[in-house]
Amino acid sequence: MAAGEVLLDVQGVGLTLGGNAILRDCSFQVVDRVRQGVVTGQIVALLGPSGVGKTRLLRIIAGLDPPDVGRVTGYKGAPLLEGEVGVVFQHYPLLRHRRVLGNLETAGRMNGMGAAEARSRAAHLLERFGLTARAQLYPAQLSGGQRQRAAIAQQLMKPKSFLLLDEPFSGLDPSALGDVIKLLVEVANMDELNTLVIVTHDIEAAVVCSDAVMLLGREPNALGKGVGPAKIQRSVDLVAEGLAYQDDVEQLPRFAELVRDLKDGFRRL
Amino acid sequence: MVPTEVGFLARIKTAFLPNRSVDRLTGLLFVGFWAALAFVAWVLRPFESLPGPAEVFGALSTLWWKHGMGPELFTTLALIGHALLLTVVISLLLSYVTVFAAARPLVEAVSKLRFLGLTGLVVPFTLFVGGGYTLKVALLTFGMTTFFVTSMAQVVVEIPREQFDHLRVLGASELRINLEVVIIGTLDRALDITRQNLAIGWALITMVEGISRAEGGLGAMILNQNKHFHLAEVYAILLVILAVGLLLDFAMAFLTRLVCPHAALERVRR
Ligand SMILES: Nc1ncnc2c1ncn2[C@@H]1O[C@H](COP(=O)(O)OP(=O)(O)OP(=O)(O)O)[C@@H](O)[C@H]1O
Ligand SMILES: [Mg+2]
Repeated sequence: MAAGEVLLDVQGVGLTLGGNAILRDCSFQVVDRVRQGVVTGQIVALLGPSGVGKTRLLRIIAGLDPPDVGRVTGYKGAPLLEGEVGVVFQHYPLLRHRRVLGNLETAGRMNGMGAAEARSRAAHLLERFGLTARAQLYPAQLSGGQRQRAAIAQQLMKPKSFLLLDEPFSGLDPSALGDVIKLLVEVANMDELNTLVIVTHDIEAAVVCSDAVMLLGREPNALGKGVGPAKIQRSVDLVAEGLAYQDDVEQLPRFAELVRDLKDGFRRL
Repeated sequence: MVPTEVGFLARIKTAFLPNRSVDRLTGLLFVGFWAALAFVAWVLRPFESLPGPAEVFGALSTLWWKHGMGPELFTTLALIGHALLLTVVISLLLSYVTVFAAARPLVEAVSKLRFLGLTGLVVPFTLFVGGGYTLKVALLTFGMTTFFVTSMAQVVVEIPREQFDHLRVLGASELRINLEVVIIGTLDRALDITRQNLAIGWALITMVEGISRAEGGLGAMILNQNKHFHLAEVYAILLVILAVGLLLDFAMAFLTRLVCPHAALERVRR
Protein backbone atom coordinates (compact mmCIF):
# COMPACT_ATOMS: atom_id res chain seq x y z
CA MET A 1 0.00 0.00 0.00
CA ALA A 2 1.27 3.39 -0.96
CA ALA A 3 1.78 6.06 1.65
CA GLY A 4 -0.43 9.07 1.28
CA GLU A 5 -3.39 7.14 -0.05
CA VAL A 6 -6.65 8.90 0.88
CA LEU A 7 -8.67 6.93 3.44
CA LEU A 8 -11.31 9.51 4.28
CA ASP A 9 -12.29 12.41 2.10
CA VAL A 10 -14.70 15.05 3.34
CA GLN A 11 -15.56 17.21 0.35
CA GLY A 12 -17.26 20.57 0.57
CA VAL A 13 -19.76 19.58 3.23
CA GLY A 14 -22.44 22.16 3.98
CA LEU A 15 -25.28 21.94 6.47
CA THR A 16 -28.13 24.27 7.35
CA LEU A 17 -30.29 23.68 10.40
CA GLY A 18 -33.46 25.62 11.14
CA GLY A 19 -32.45 28.34 8.68
CA ASN A 20 -28.96 28.72 10.18
CA ALA A 21 -25.95 27.80 8.11
CA ILE A 22 -23.89 25.62 10.45
CA LEU A 23 -21.23 24.23 8.10
CA ARG A 24 -20.11 25.48 4.72
CA ASP A 25 -17.42 24.19 2.41
CA CYS A 26 -16.04 21.93 5.04
CA SER A 27 -13.27 19.78 3.55
CA PHE A 28 -10.43 17.66 4.82
CA GLN A 29 -8.69 14.40 4.05
CA VAL A 30 -7.18 11.65 6.08
CA VAL A 31 -4.24 9.97 4.37
CA ASP A 32 -2.66 6.64 5.12
CA ARG A 33 0.41 6.99 7.33
CA VAL A 34 3.09 4.45 6.69
CA ARG A 35 6.06 3.70 8.90
CA GLN A 36 8.66 1.08 8.13
CA GLY A 37 8.00 -2.07 10.13
CA VAL A 38 5.25 -0.60 12.32
CA VAL A 39 1.53 -0.99 11.83
CA THR A 40 0.35 2.61 11.91
CA GLY A 41 -3.26 3.66 11.99
CA GLN A 42 -4.41 7.24 11.68
CA ILE A 43 -5.64 9.58 14.41
CA VAL A 44 -7.07 12.92 13.44
CA ALA A 45 -8.21 15.46 15.98
CA LEU A 46 -11.07 17.80 15.16
CA LEU A 47 -10.76 20.86 17.35
CA GLY A 48 -13.23 23.68 17.66
CA PRO A 49 -15.10 25.86 20.10
CA SER A 50 -18.40 24.78 21.61
CA GLY A 51 -21.41 24.98 19.30
CA VAL A 52 -19.37 25.29 16.13
CA GLY A 53 -20.71 22.10 14.55
CA LYS A 54 -18.26 19.37 15.52
CA THR A 55 -20.92 16.87 16.57
CA ARG A 56 -22.93 17.65 13.45
CA LEU A 57 -19.93 17.04 11.21
CA LEU A 58 -19.25 13.79 13.06
CA ARG A 59 -22.83 12.64 12.43
CA ILE A 60 -22.45 13.42 8.74
CA ILE A 61 -19.21 11.45 8.50
CA ALA A 62 -20.88 8.56 10.32
CA GLY A 63 -23.69 8.56 7.77
CA LEU A 64 -26.30 9.33 10.42
CA ASP A 65 -27.32 12.62 8.81
CA PRO A 66 -26.98 13.56 5.13
CA PRO A 67 -25.20 16.84 4.38
CA ASP A 68 -27.10 19.45 2.38
CA VAL A 69 -24.19 19.69 -0.04
CA GLY A 70 -20.88 17.90 -0.39
CA ARG A 71 -19.99 14.28 0.21
CA VAL A 72 -17.92 11.97 2.32
CA THR A 73 -16.05 9.07 0.80
CA GLY A 74 -13.75 6.41 2.17
CA TYR A 75 -10.92 4.27 0.87
CA LYS A 76 -10.64 4.41 -2.93
CA GLY A 77 -13.50 6.90 -3.14
CA ALA A 78 -16.14 4.40 -2.03
CA PRO A 79 -19.06 5.97 -0.17
CA LEU A 80 -19.21 5.31 3.57
CA LEU A 81 -22.27 3.39 4.64
CA GLU A 82 -24.19 3.62 7.88
CA GLY A 83 -22.82 1.02 10.28
CA GLU A 84 -19.37 0.93 8.67
CA VAL A 85 -18.26 3.78 10.85
CA GLY A 86 -18.22 3.30 14.61
CA VAL A 87 -19.17 6.24 16.78
CA VAL A 88 -18.60 6.73 20.49
CA PHE A 89 -21.12 9.44 21.32
CA GLN A 90 -20.65 12.19 23.86
CA HIS A 91 -22.39 10.49 26.79
CA TYR A 92 -21.28 6.96 25.99
CA PRO A 93 -24.65 5.34 25.39
CA LEU A 94 -24.93 1.66 26.24
CA LEU A 95 -27.93 -0.65 26.28
CA ARG A 96 -29.21 0.10 29.77
CA HIS A 97 -31.08 -3.18 30.06
CA ARG A 98 -28.04 -5.34 29.41
CA ARG A 99 -25.00 -6.03 31.52
CA VAL A 100 -21.59 -4.92 30.28
CA LEU A 101 -20.81 -8.35 28.84
CA GLY A 102 -24.29 -8.51 27.31
CA ASN A 103 -23.80 -5.11 25.71
CA LEU A 104 -20.73 -6.36 23.89
CA GLU A 105 -22.23 -9.73 23.01
CA THR A 106 -25.35 -8.12 21.59
CA ALA A 107 -23.22 -5.87 19.39
CA GLY A 108 -21.50 -9.00 18.07
CA ARG A 109 -24.74 -10.90 17.53
CA MET A 110 -26.20 -7.97 15.62
CA ASN A 111 -23.35 -8.30 13.18
CA GLY A 112 -23.93 -11.94 12.52
CA MET A 113 -21.59 -13.52 15.05
CA GLY A 114 -22.53 -16.79 16.68
CA ALA A 115 -23.10 -16.86 20.44
CA ALA A 116 -19.78 -18.50 21.22
CA GLU A 117 -17.77 -16.21 18.99
CA ALA A 118 -19.47 -13.10 20.37
CA ARG A 119 -18.84 -14.24 23.93
CA SER A 120 -15.17 -14.97 23.45
CA ARG A 121 -14.53 -11.73 21.58
CA ALA A 122 -16.43 -9.76 24.24
CA ALA A 123 -14.48 -11.42 27.04
CA HIS A 124 -11.23 -10.69 25.23
CA LEU A 125 -12.09 -7.00 24.76
CA LEU A 126 -13.21 -6.60 28.36
CA GLU A 127 -9.95 -8.11 29.52
CA ARG A 128 -8.01 -5.70 27.39
CA PHE A 129 -10.02 -2.69 28.56
CA GLY A 130 -9.69 -3.63 32.22
CA LEU A 131 -13.38 -4.34 32.62
CA THR A 132 -13.41 -8.07 33.32
CA ALA A 133 -14.38 -7.49 36.95
CA ARG A 134 -17.26 -5.30 35.78
CA ALA A 135 -18.62 -7.68 33.15
CA GLN A 136 -21.74 -8.54 35.12
CA LEU A 137 -22.68 -4.98 36.08
CA TYR A 138 -25.37 -2.89 34.43
CA PRO A 139 -24.37 0.42 32.78
CA ALA A 140 -26.03 2.33 35.63
CA GLN A 141 -23.46 0.78 37.97
CA LEU A 142 -20.38 1.97 36.07
CA SER A 143 -18.24 5.04 36.69
CA GLY A 144 -17.87 7.58 33.90
CA GLY A 145 -14.48 6.24 32.82
CA GLN A 146 -15.63 2.60 32.91
CA ARG A 147 -18.67 3.54 30.90
CA GLN A 148 -16.48 5.18 28.29
CA ARG A 149 -14.24 2.14 28.00
CA ALA A 150 -17.25 -0.14 27.75
CA ALA A 151 -18.70 2.05 24.99
CA ILE A 152 -15.43 1.95 23.03
CA ALA A 153 -15.13 -1.81 23.53
CA GLN A 154 -18.69 -2.25 22.28
CA GLN A 155 -17.82 -0.40 19.07
CA LEU A 156 -14.84 -2.70 18.55
CA MET A 157 -16.94 -5.87 18.58
CA LYS A 158 -17.22 -5.58 14.83
CA PRO A 159 -13.93 -4.66 13.18
CA LYS A 160 -14.41 -1.35 11.38
CA SER A 161 -11.88 0.95 9.82
CA PHE A 162 -13.41 4.13 11.18
CA LEU A 163 -14.08 5.08 14.76
CA LEU A 164 -15.33 8.55 15.56
CA LEU A 165 -15.21 9.77 19.14
CA ASP A 166 -17.10 12.79 20.43
CA GLU A 167 -15.33 14.42 23.37
CA PRO A 168 -13.55 11.35 24.71
CA PHE A 169 -11.33 13.48 26.96
CA SER A 170 -13.97 15.41 28.84
CA GLY A 171 -14.19 14.95 32.58
CA LEU A 172 -11.06 12.84 32.99
CA ASP A 173 -8.33 13.33 35.57
CA PRO A 174 -4.75 13.57 34.19
CA SER A 175 -3.91 9.93 34.79
CA ALA A 176 -7.19 8.69 33.29
CA LEU A 177 -6.59 11.02 30.35
CA GLY A 178 -3.18 9.41 29.78
CA ASP A 179 -4.81 5.97 29.89
CA VAL A 180 -7.49 6.90 27.36
CA ILE A 181 -4.88 8.36 25.02
CA LYS A 182 -2.83 5.18 25.26
CA LEU A 183 -5.92 3.12 24.60
CA LEU A 184 -6.91 5.14 21.53
CA VAL A 185 -3.41 4.94 20.07
CA GLU A 186 -3.49 1.20 20.62
CA VAL A 187 -6.89 0.91 18.92
CA ALA A 188 -5.70 2.98 15.96
CA ASN A 189 -2.59 0.89 15.51
CA MET A 190 -4.44 -2.39 15.43
CA ASP A 191 -4.67 -2.07 11.67
CA GLU A 192 -2.88 -0.08 9.01
CA LEU A 193 -6.19 1.23 7.65
CA ASN A 194 -7.76 2.16 10.99
CA THR A 195 -8.75 5.78 11.27
CA LEU A 196 -9.84 7.52 14.45
CA VAL A 197 -11.43 10.94 14.31
CA ILE A 198 -11.45 12.56 17.72
CA VAL A 199 -13.62 15.57 18.44
CA THR A 200 -12.33 17.55 21.39
CA HIS A 201 -11.71 20.91 23.03
CA ASP A 202 -8.57 19.61 24.67
CA ILE A 203 -5.75 20.96 22.50
CA GLU A 204 -2.87 19.38 24.43
CA ALA A 205 -4.44 15.92 24.44
CA ALA A 206 -5.25 16.28 20.74
CA VAL A 207 -1.65 17.11 19.84
CA VAL A 208 -0.31 14.31 22.05
CA CYS A 209 -2.33 11.52 20.47
CA SER A 210 -2.94 12.45 16.87
CA ASP A 211 -0.96 12.71 13.67
CA ALA A 212 -3.02 15.58 12.28
CA VAL A 213 -5.08 18.35 13.84
CA MET A 214 -7.95 20.19 12.16
CA LEU A 215 -9.35 23.41 13.47
CA LEU A 216 -13.07 23.78 12.78
CA GLY A 217 -14.22 27.36 13.20
CA ARG A 218 -16.24 30.28 11.95
CA GLU A 219 -14.82 33.23 10.10
CA PRO A 220 -13.78 35.97 12.55
CA ASN A 221 -15.48 39.34 11.94
CA ALA A 222 -13.92 42.81 12.38
CA LEU A 223 -14.18 42.48 16.16
CA GLY A 224 -12.41 39.13 16.09
CA LYS A 225 -15.57 37.21 16.95
CA GLY A 226 -16.51 34.10 14.96
CA VAL A 227 -19.67 34.45 12.88
CA GLY A 228 -21.45 32.51 10.14
CA PRO A 229 -20.98 28.91 9.11
CA ALA A 230 -17.91 26.94 10.13
CA LYS A 231 -15.29 25.20 8.02
CA ILE A 232 -11.84 23.76 8.52
CA GLN A 233 -9.79 26.89 9.14
CA ARG A 234 -6.46 25.26 9.63
CA SER A 235 -4.92 21.84 9.54
CA VAL A 236 -1.60 20.85 11.02
CA ASP A 237 0.34 17.78 9.94
CA LEU A 238 1.98 16.63 13.15
CA VAL A 239 4.16 14.12 11.33
CA ALA A 240 5.71 16.92 9.31
CA GLU A 241 6.06 18.93 12.53
CA GLY A 242 7.99 16.05 14.07
CA LEU A 243 5.41 15.73 16.84
CA ALA A 244 3.86 12.37 15.99
CA TYR A 245 4.68 8.89 17.30
CA GLN A 246 6.77 9.98 20.26
CA ASP A 247 6.45 9.29 23.94
CA ASP A 248 7.01 12.41 26.01
CA VAL A 249 6.15 14.64 23.09
CA GLU A 250 5.04 17.20 25.70
CA GLN A 251 8.68 17.80 26.59
CA LEU A 252 9.57 19.13 23.14
CA PRO A 253 9.77 22.91 22.76
CA ARG A 254 7.92 22.67 19.44
CA PHE A 255 4.98 21.05 21.28
CA ALA A 256 4.51 23.99 23.63
CA GLU A 257 4.89 26.40 20.74
CA LEU A 258 2.29 24.67 18.58
CA VAL A 259 -0.19 24.32 21.46
CA ARG A 260 0.15 28.03 22.20
CA ASP A 261 -0.30 28.81 18.55
CA LEU A 262 -3.42 26.63 18.28
CA LYS A 263 -4.91 28.12 21.42
CA ASP A 264 -4.41 31.55 19.91
CA GLY A 265 -6.13 30.52 16.72
CA PHE A 266 -8.90 28.88 18.75
CA ARG A 267 -9.71 32.10 20.55
CA ARG A 268 -10.30 33.93 17.29
CA LEU A 269 -12.82 31.38 15.91
CA MET B 1 -20.95 11.00 57.83
CA VAL B 2 -23.67 9.28 59.81
CA PRO B 3 -22.35 7.81 63.04
CA THR B 4 -23.03 4.10 63.30
CA GLU B 5 -24.71 4.32 66.68
CA VAL B 6 -27.46 6.88 66.55
CA GLY B 7 -29.69 7.31 69.54
CA PHE B 8 -33.32 6.23 69.33
CA LEU B 9 -34.63 9.76 69.82
CA ALA B 10 -32.27 11.19 67.23
CA ARG B 11 -33.54 8.65 64.68
CA ILE B 12 -37.14 9.55 65.42
CA LYS B 13 -36.27 13.21 65.07
CA THR B 14 -34.79 12.61 61.60
CA ALA B 15 -38.16 11.37 60.40
CA PHE B 16 -39.61 14.79 61.14
CA LEU B 17 -37.03 16.67 59.08
CA PRO B 18 -37.84 17.26 55.41
CA ASN B 19 -36.29 15.06 52.70
CA ARG B 20 -34.46 12.66 54.97
CA SER B 21 -34.30 8.93 54.68
CA VAL B 22 -34.53 6.82 57.80
CA ASP B 23 -33.20 3.33 58.49
CA ARG B 24 -35.42 0.33 57.98
CA LEU B 25 -36.29 -0.12 61.64
CA THR B 26 -37.36 3.48 62.14
CA GLY B 27 -39.38 3.23 58.94
CA LEU B 28 -41.16 0.12 60.21
CA LEU B 29 -41.79 1.85 63.50
CA PHE B 30 -43.76 4.52 61.72
CA VAL B 31 -45.67 1.95 59.69
CA GLY B 32 -46.59 0.27 62.97
CA PHE B 33 -47.60 3.58 64.50
CA TRP B 34 -50.02 4.52 61.71
CA ALA B 35 -51.43 0.98 61.49
CA ALA B 36 -52.06 0.93 65.23
CA LEU B 37 -53.72 4.35 65.03
CA ALA B 38 -56.01 3.13 62.26
CA PHE B 39 -56.91 0.01 64.21
CA VAL B 40 -57.63 1.96 67.38
CA ALA B 41 -59.84 4.32 65.38
CA TRP B 42 -61.67 1.30 64.02
CA VAL B 43 -62.20 -0.20 67.49
CA LEU B 44 -63.40 3.12 68.93
CA ARG B 45 -65.70 3.62 65.91
CA PRO B 46 -66.30 7.35 65.60
CA PHE B 47 -68.83 6.58 62.82
CA GLU B 48 -71.91 4.63 63.88
CA SER B 49 -72.27 3.03 60.47
CA LEU B 50 -68.88 1.33 60.61
CA PRO B 51 -69.08 -2.19 62.04
CA GLY B 52 -66.34 -3.09 64.51
CA PRO B 53 -63.45 -5.46 63.79
CA ALA B 54 -65.13 -8.40 65.54
CA GLU B 55 -68.24 -8.11 63.38
CA VAL B 56 -66.30 -7.69 60.15
CA PHE B 57 -63.97 -10.61 60.79
CA GLY B 58 -66.94 -12.70 61.92
CA ALA B 59 -68.71 -11.89 58.65
CA LEU B 60 -65.56 -12.67 56.71
CA SER B 61 -65.34 -16.10 58.28
CA THR B 62 -69.00 -16.83 57.52
CA LEU B 63 -68.68 -15.63 53.95
CA TRP B 64 -65.57 -17.68 53.39
CA TRP B 65 -66.71 -20.95 54.95
CA LYS B 66 -70.48 -20.89 54.36
CA HIS B 67 -71.04 -18.75 51.27
CA GLY B 68 -68.20 -19.95 49.09
CA MET B 69 -66.19 -16.75 48.98
CA GLY B 70 -63.09 -18.69 47.90
CA PRO B 71 -64.61 -19.80 44.58
CA GLU B 72 -66.07 -16.32 44.04
CA LEU B 73 -62.65 -14.80 44.55
CA PHE B 74 -61.26 -17.29 42.04
CA THR B 75 -63.95 -16.25 39.53
CA THR B 76 -62.93 -12.63 39.92
CA LEU B 77 -59.22 -13.44 39.60
CA ALA B 78 -59.85 -15.49 36.47
CA LEU B 79 -61.77 -12.57 34.97
CA ILE B 80 -59.07 -10.01 35.67
CA GLY B 81 -56.37 -12.42 34.52
CA HIS B 82 -58.14 -13.01 31.22
CA ALA B 83 -58.78 -9.30 30.64
CA LEU B 84 -55.25 -8.34 31.65
CA LEU B 85 -53.73 -10.83 29.24
CA LEU B 86 -55.79 -9.45 26.36
CA THR B 87 -55.01 -5.88 27.43
CA VAL B 88 -51.27 -6.46 27.53
CA VAL B 89 -51.19 -8.14 24.13
CA ILE B 90 -53.41 -5.57 22.39
CA SER B 91 -51.85 -2.54 24.07
CA LEU B 92 -48.25 -3.55 23.49
CA LEU B 93 -48.96 -4.21 19.82
CA LEU B 94 -50.66 -0.84 19.47
CA SER B 95 -47.84 0.92 21.30
CA TYR B 96 -45.05 -0.70 19.29
CA VAL B 97 -46.67 0.15 15.95
CA THR B 98 -46.40 3.85 16.83
CA VAL B 99 -42.93 3.59 15.28
CA PHE B 100 -44.89 3.80 12.01
CA ALA B 101 -46.27 7.28 11.46
CA ALA B 102 -49.18 5.72 9.56
CA ALA B 103 -50.43 3.92 12.68
CA ARG B 104 -50.16 6.86 15.06
CA PRO B 105 -53.65 8.35 14.50
CA LEU B 106 -55.24 4.98 15.28
CA VAL B 107 -53.28 4.62 18.50
CA GLU B 108 -54.02 8.21 19.41
CA ALA B 109 -57.73 7.54 18.92
CA VAL B 110 -57.69 4.42 21.12
CA SER B 111 -55.97 6.45 23.80
CA LYS B 112 -58.60 9.18 23.64
CA LEU B 113 -61.41 6.66 24.15
CA ARG B 114 -60.47 6.49 27.83
CA PHE B 115 -62.64 9.57 28.40
CA LEU B 116 -65.77 7.61 27.53
CA GLY B 117 -66.00 5.67 30.76
CA LEU B 118 -67.61 2.24 30.91
CA THR B 119 -71.20 2.80 32.00
CA GLY B 120 -72.47 4.12 28.68
CA LEU B 121 -70.73 1.35 26.79
CA VAL B 122 -72.59 -1.54 28.36
CA VAL B 123 -75.41 -1.56 25.83
CA PRO B 124 -73.29 -1.13 22.68
CA PHE B 125 -70.86 -3.78 23.93
CA THR B 126 -73.73 -6.17 24.69
CA LEU B 127 -74.89 -5.78 21.12
CA PHE B 128 -71.37 -6.50 19.84
CA VAL B 129 -70.27 -9.43 21.96
CA GLY B 130 -73.41 -10.67 23.67
CA GLY B 131 -73.74 -10.71 27.43
CA GLY B 132 -72.28 -12.63 30.34
CA TYR B 133 -68.63 -13.46 30.72
CA THR B 134 -67.60 -12.23 27.26
CA LEU B 135 -69.17 -8.85 27.90
CA LYS B 136 -67.31 -8.46 31.17
CA VAL B 137 -63.97 -9.41 29.64
CA ALA B 138 -64.59 -7.03 26.77
CA LEU B 139 -65.53 -4.09 28.99
CA LEU B 140 -62.63 -4.60 31.33
CA THR B 141 -60.17 -5.07 28.46
CA PHE B 142 -61.48 -1.94 26.81
CA GLY B 143 -61.18 0.09 30.00
CA MET B 144 -57.63 -1.04 30.74
CA THR B 145 -56.42 -0.91 27.13
CA THR B 146 -57.25 2.76 26.70
CA PHE B 147 -55.12 3.64 29.72
CA PHE B 148 -52.37 1.16 28.93
CA VAL B 149 -52.00 2.45 25.37
CA THR B 150 -51.87 6.03 26.61
CA SER B 151 -48.93 5.36 28.90
CA MET B 152 -47.05 2.86 26.75
CA ALA B 153 -47.32 4.74 23.45
CA GLN B 154 -45.85 7.71 25.27
CA VAL B 155 -42.93 5.59 26.42
CA VAL B 156 -42.25 4.46 22.86
CA VAL B 157 -42.58 7.95 21.41
CA GLU B 158 -40.18 9.35 23.97
CA ILE B 159 -37.32 6.93 23.33
CA PRO B 160 -34.42 9.30 22.61
CA ARG B 161 -33.12 9.30 19.07
CA GLU B 162 -29.66 8.71 20.52
CA GLN B 163 -30.61 5.12 21.34
CA PHE B 164 -31.48 4.36 17.72
CA ASP B 165 -28.31 6.07 16.47
CA HIS B 166 -26.24 4.09 18.93
CA LEU B 167 -27.44 0.78 17.52
CA ARG B 168 -27.30 2.04 13.97
CA VAL B 169 -23.58 2.78 14.21
CA LEU B 170 -23.07 -0.62 15.80
CA GLY B 171 -24.28 -2.01 12.49
CA ALA B 172 -27.63 -3.43 13.60
CA SER B 173 -30.41 -3.99 11.08
CA GLU B 174 -33.54 -1.85 11.38
CA LEU B 175 -35.52 -4.85 12.61
CA ARG B 176 -32.93 -5.64 15.25
CA ILE B 177 -32.78 -1.99 16.35
CA ASN B 178 -36.51 -1.92 16.93
CA LEU B 179 -36.46 -5.24 18.74
CA GLU B 180 -33.67 -4.08 21.03
CA VAL B 181 -34.71 -0.47 21.65
CA VAL B 182 -38.48 -0.43 21.27
CA ILE B 183 -39.38 -3.85 22.67
CA ILE B 184 -36.65 -5.18 24.97
CA GLY B 185 -35.44 -1.75 26.05
CA THR B 186 -38.88 -0.70 27.29
CA LEU B 187 -39.77 -3.96 29.03
CA ASP B 188 -39.32 -2.48 32.49
CA ARG B 189 -41.71 0.33 31.62
CA ALA B 190 -44.20 -2.13 30.12
CA LEU B 191 -44.19 -4.13 33.35
CA ASP B 192 -44.60 -0.96 35.37
CA ILE B 193 -47.56 0.09 33.26
CA THR B 194 -49.05 -3.40 33.51
CA ARG B 195 -48.85 -3.01 37.25
CA GLN B 196 -50.68 0.32 37.17
CA ASN B 197 -53.32 -1.06 34.83
CA LEU B 198 -53.85 -4.09 36.98
CA ALA B 199 -54.76 -1.61 39.71
CA ILE B 200 -57.13 0.23 37.38
CA GLY B 201 -58.71 -3.07 36.31
CA TRP B 202 -59.04 -4.24 39.90
CA ALA B 203 -60.79 -1.00 40.79
CA LEU B 204 -63.20 -1.47 37.87
CA ILE B 205 -63.85 -5.14 38.41
CA THR B 206 -66.57 -5.04 41.06
CA MET B 207 -68.52 -2.60 38.92
CA VAL B 208 -68.13 -4.75 35.81
CA GLU B 209 -69.13 -7.88 37.70
CA GLY B 210 -72.26 -6.11 38.83
CA ILE B 211 -73.38 -5.74 35.22
CA SER B 212 -74.04 -9.44 34.86
CA ARG B 213 -74.27 -11.23 38.17
CA ALA B 214 -74.98 -14.73 36.95
CA GLU B 215 -71.31 -15.75 36.88
CA GLY B 216 -70.75 -14.55 40.44
CA GLY B 217 -67.52 -13.05 41.62
CA LEU B 218 -66.76 -10.61 44.41
CA GLY B 219 -68.63 -7.79 42.65
CA ALA B 220 -71.83 -9.83 42.49
CA MET B 221 -71.32 -10.81 46.13
CA ILE B 222 -71.04 -7.18 47.23
CA LEU B 223 -74.24 -6.23 45.41
CA ASN B 224 -76.12 -9.11 47.04
CA GLN B 225 -74.97 -8.05 50.50
CA ASN B 226 -75.71 -4.39 49.75
CA LYS B 227 -79.26 -5.31 48.86
CA HIS B 228 -79.84 -6.74 52.33
CA PHE B 229 -77.86 -3.94 53.95
CA HIS B 230 -75.42 -6.44 55.51
CA LEU B 231 -72.77 -3.86 56.31
CA ALA B 232 -70.34 -6.14 58.10
CA GLU B 233 -70.36 -8.49 55.09
CA VAL B 234 -69.81 -5.62 52.67
CA TYR B 235 -66.82 -4.42 54.67
CA ALA B 236 -65.48 -7.94 54.86
CA ILE B 237 -65.59 -8.23 51.06
CA LEU B 238 -64.00 -4.79 50.68
CA LEU B 239 -61.24 -5.93 53.00
CA VAL B 240 -60.60 -8.95 50.79
CA ILE B 241 -60.65 -6.80 47.65
CA LEU B 242 -58.11 -4.45 49.20
CA ALA B 243 -55.87 -7.25 50.45
CA VAL B 244 -55.89 -9.16 47.15
CA GLY B 245 -55.34 -5.94 45.20
CA LEU B 246 -52.29 -5.13 47.31
CA LEU B 247 -51.02 -8.66 46.93
CA LEU B 248 -51.33 -8.49 43.13
CA ASP B 249 -49.56 -5.14 43.12
CA PHE B 250 -46.78 -6.53 45.24
CA ALA B 251 -46.44 -9.54 42.96
CA MET B 252 -46.14 -7.30 39.89
CA ALA B 253 -43.47 -5.18 41.58
CA PHE B 254 -41.60 -8.35 42.46
CA LEU B 255 -41.84 -9.62 38.89
CA THR B 256 -40.51 -6.31 37.55
CA ARG B 257 -37.52 -6.45 39.88
CA LEU B 258 -36.87 -10.02 38.89
CA VAL B 259 -37.06 -9.49 35.12
CA CYS B 260 -35.56 -5.98 34.96
CA PRO B 261 -33.11 -5.52 37.83
CA HIS B 262 -31.55 -2.57 35.98
CA ALA B 263 -34.67 -0.44 36.43
CA ALA B 264 -34.25 -0.24 40.21
CA LEU B 265 -30.57 0.69 39.79
CA GLU B 266 -31.45 3.76 37.80
CA ARG B 267 -33.93 5.02 40.34
CA VAL B 268 -32.08 7.35 42.65
CA ARG B 269 -33.41 7.32 46.15
CA ARG B 270 -33.62 10.34 48.30
N1 LIG C 1 -31.89 20.82 15.29
C1 LIG C 1 -31.20 21.96 15.22
N2 LIG C 1 -31.76 23.10 14.75
C2 LIG C 1 -31.06 24.25 14.68
N3 LIG C 1 -29.79 24.37 15.07
C3 LIG C 1 -29.17 23.28 15.55
C4 LIG C 1 -29.83 22.02 15.67
N4 LIG C 1 -28.97 21.12 16.19
C5 LIG C 1 -27.82 21.81 16.40
N5 LIG C 1 -27.94 23.09 16.02
C6 LIG C 1 -26.88 24.12 16.08
O1 LIG C 1 -25.78 23.61 15.39
C7 LIG C 1 -24.59 24.09 15.98
C8 LIG C 1 -23.58 22.98 16.07
O2 LIG C 1 -23.99 22.02 17.01
P1 LIG C 1 -23.01 20.86 17.46
O3 LIG C 1 -23.74 20.00 18.41
O4 LIG C 1 -22.44 20.21 16.27
O5 LIG C 1 -21.87 21.69 18.22
P2 LIG C 1 -20.48 21.15 18.81
O6 LIG C 1 -19.41 21.82 18.03
O7 LIG C 1 -20.48 19.69 18.87
O8 LIG C 1 -20.50 21.79 20.27
P3 LIG C 1 -20.02 21.15 21.67
O9 LIG C 1 -18.55 21.22 21.69
O10 LIG C 1 -20.61 22.09 22.66
O11 LIG C 1 -20.57 19.77 21.74
C9 LIG C 1 -24.98 24.68 17.33
O12 LIG C 1 -24.77 26.07 17.27
C10 LIG C 1 -26.43 24.35 17.47
O13 LIG C 1 -27.12 25.42 18.07
MG1 LIG D 1 -20.66 18.32 20.41
